[in-house]
Amino acid sequence: MIQVLFFGPVAERIGKHALQVSHRAGMRLQDLRDELSAVYPAAFEIVCFVAANGTHVRDLSLVIDDGCEVAFMAKFSGG
Amino acid sequence: MQQAVRIQQEDFSQDEEIRALQASSKRMGGIATFLGCARDFSEGREVSQISFDAYGSMALSEMQSLRLAAIEKFALLDARIVHRLGTVKGGENIVFIAAGAEHRRAALEACSWMIDELKQRVPIWKKEITPQGDCWVSPHP
Repeated sequence: MIQVLFFGPVAERIGKHALQVSHRAGMRLQDLRDELSAVYPAAFEIVCFVAANGTHVRDLSLVIDDGCEVAFMAKFSGG
Repeated sequence: MQQAVRIQQEDFSQDEEIRALQASSKRMGGIATFLGCARDFSEGREVSQISFDAYGSMALSEMQSLRLAAIEKFALLDARIVHRLGTVKGGENIVFIAAGAEHRRAALEACSWMIDELKQRVPIWKKEITPQGDCWVSPHP
C-alpha cells in the first residue's frame, strides 16, 4: 500500500488528511498524481509540491516503492 | 538546553534562544534575529487567530537541513530556528530565527536567507481565522 498524505488547503479540499492506495509494480509518482487528480480535481489544482518519504521530489517519473509515504502539497505559507 | 531546531505548540523565549546561541561560542561577535508574529489585520480584514497545519516530520527535517546549510554557507558559529504550530492569536510569536557569526554581516545575511528559505522549503501552512470566515494564506514573497 501507498500512504498518501494531504495537509492544509489540499486536505481541506479533499476532506481528509490521508488515503491508502494499492501499490502496483512500476507505478510512478505521475501515475498516482493522475489517478488522484481525476477524483479530486479541485484539490490538485493547488498542488505545487510532492514529497516521497519526507523528501521533496521534482521528477514525477520516480517509481514508487510499496510502503512509500507520498505527500501532495500546496505552496507553503509558514513563517 | 533545548534543541536548536524545534517545532512546538507553546510560545518561546527570545532571551533563552539568544542565550543558548551565545553559549555555543565565545568567538561570536554578531547575532542577528528574526521574529515572525501573527498580525491581527490582513488583506483588509480583522484576523482573530491564525492556525497552522504542517507535515511535521518533514518540516522538522527541512528546518534542520536549513540550519546546517546556513551554518556552512555563511560560516556561522551557530544558528537556531523555532516555529510554533497550533493556534496563535494576533500579536503572538510564530517563528524565531537566530544566526551567530564572528561578524555582523554574515549573521544578518544568514538570518535573512534562512527565513526566505523556510518560507519556500518547509511544509507549514497557515490559516487566518476572521469574523468573515477562515482563509488559507497565500505565500508572501
